[in-house]
Amino acid sequence: MSSTLDESQRLRVLLDLNILDTAKEERFDRITRMAARLFDVPMAFVSLVDADRLWFKSQVGYPFSEAPSDASFCTHAIRQDGMMVVCDALEDPRFAGSRYVTGFPQVRFYAGLPIAANGAYVGTFCLVGNAPREFSEEDRALLRDFAAMVANEVAAGALDACQSRVHRSDASLRALLEHLPDSVLLIDDGGAVVSANPAAERLFRRDAASLCGQPAATLLGIDAAQLATRGAEPLRIEVTLCAECGSLPVEAALSALEIDGRPHVVASVRDASAHRAALEAERAAEQRRRVYFRTATHELRTPMASILGFSELLLKRDYDAATARELLDIVHKQATRLVLLINQMLDMARIEAGGPDEEQRAAVALPELLSAALATTLTPERAADVVVAGADPALPRVRANAVRLQQALSNLLSNALRFSRPGTPVVVALTPAMREGRPGALLEVRDAGIGMTPEQSAHMFDAFYRANERPDMEGNGLGLTLVRDILALHDARVEVASRSGAGTTVSVWMPAAWDTA
Amino acid sequence: MSKRILVVDDQPDLRLLIRLSLRQLGEVSQAGSAEQALAMIARELPDLLILDIWLGHGKSGIDLCRELRADPATRGLCIVLLSANGQQSDIDAGLAAGADDYVVKPFSPEGLVAAATRLLAR
Repeated sequence: MSSTLDESQRLRVLLDLNILDTAKEERFDRITRMAARLFDVPMAFVSLVDADRLWFKSQVGYPFSEAPSDASFCTHAIRQDGMMVVCDALEDPRFAGSRYVTGFPQVRFYAGLPIAANGAYVGTFCLVGNAPREFSEEDRALLRDFAAMVANEVAAGALDACQSRVHRSDASLRALLEHLPDSVLLIDDGGAVVSANPAAERLFRRDAASLCGQPAATLLGIDAAQLATRGAEPLRIEVTLCAECGSLPVEAALSALEIDGRPHVVASVRDASAHRAALEAERAAEQRRRVYFRTATHELRTPMASILGFSELLLKRDYDAATARELLDIVHKQATRLVLLINQMLDMARIEAGGPDEEQRAAVALPELLSAALATTLTPERAADVVVAGADPALPRVRANAVRLQQALSNLLSNALRFSRPGTPVVVALTPAMREGRPGALLEVRDAGIGMTPEQSAHMFDAFYRANERPDMEGNGLGLTLVRDILALHDARVEVASRSGAGTTVSVWMPAAWDTA
Repeated sequence: MSKRILVVDDQPDLRLLIRLSLRQLGEVSQAGSAEQALAMIARELPDLLILDIWLGHGKSGIDLCRELRADPATRGLCIVLLSANGQQSDIDAGLAAGADDYVVKPFSPEGLVAAATRLLAR
């Protein structure tokens, strides 16, 4: 027996008994006590041979519960089958020089039998004396009985340890299933649910008791044939759950396994709606970026075509002074348009990129900001068209990036002016207003211009969107996009009311600054 | 006999640029949309069409190009597509729609003259 396992396997078996370094037990102590009395020896041991020590589950007549294993009698005893008897250690060349013979506890006599457990000799039951003695056949038979009793107790302990291990792993498995965020269904060979974890109860909106017995294919909204999968790899499918379960998109992994000789399927199901929504949003953003880039290319190259084309004609061909002047005018006009476009595109990119300049905020008085915006936007001929309504002293300051907010106001004003006839007033009103229970300031820009259809209103903030193609109303379609981007960073609420032919009102509400002055 | 060239672009400045560039090759007329161009072609078939792809809200230059190639009456028309989008996939799509040539904006007027001359000589 001892030869079939190597030392590391033997130690593994010993370790798995979970007996080393456990408390003393009466069931072993009773045996060692009886043996020492019966054989009339000062010492008796249940000795387990660990890697570099002997550890005594029970001992009589020896003060320590362990001892170094080198040059020990027990180490020899477990390397042989059957009993090892040393009548006089001083006469035995294997032990005459052993520390246990020459020193404490001065062994002269030893009789031991290996204890087998799970196919390995894990230790010995042994008797030790300080004087040489004979060991008769009767003594040997008696020792065998004692050793058999010890082996039985070790085996009984091993069984207990095994059962408690199974129990423990069962409990941890159950805890694992209960706390798993994924839903797990066990499905029998008839396609019915056999068990379900709490996540499955939540996902399928019913308790485990009512899930059991349900046809799994119906719950998962799949063909029953898909459940019959018998591959080595789990079958991964994306499905939509039945209507009673909320028609959720889910990812399911179906794995085949056998329980008690019958085929079963484990379905691990995960809610995929958040994942899909994120994918969808990512795709939409990607699509917007592509459209933006394509449109930007067109918008940049069109004025460049005029600038390059007309300047080349002027350089290579002869025109009369009036025509040359006209062409040069176009070049200048298109170059101006290009510069504005590039500036606005760069502003959008800067706002998106952020940084200290963009993120700086201060408590800003809107009337002052409005005056500054009017000063840069109004041409002398339209100066009389803008009416600023009432100055309410209770108007709170707003927390803003003054440079950007002024830019947004300018763009709103120039839009209102561009789409209304000279002579019709553009009214700007600033009033204190509550929104969602928070105090704030409301800015309204009201024009009586051409207005927009609902379709046009829906797109007015889109990049490069131009509601009107009339050349006299030409803009580059980025002004309001910038307004949108800037206001979004100011926690502002923007509303647009517009009717085709009747005019447009843009309302911007911003929360009051904390440090209202 | 003088060649007839039709320029289709929604940008007035670009129409003027192309008219001035190609004036030496023949009689250049202009349209601001695909719909207007179709009406003019129906009245009198030009020898060469300079057709911008991006025509604002209406039909695109690509749509018009396909339409003209599908109609036996206009199938043989020489067509140069003009576009600000100059990636290989854009060019391939233009040629697949039936264009004889594809010119990317911004372009050199002399280059456009060379392309038009080549096509008109066929």
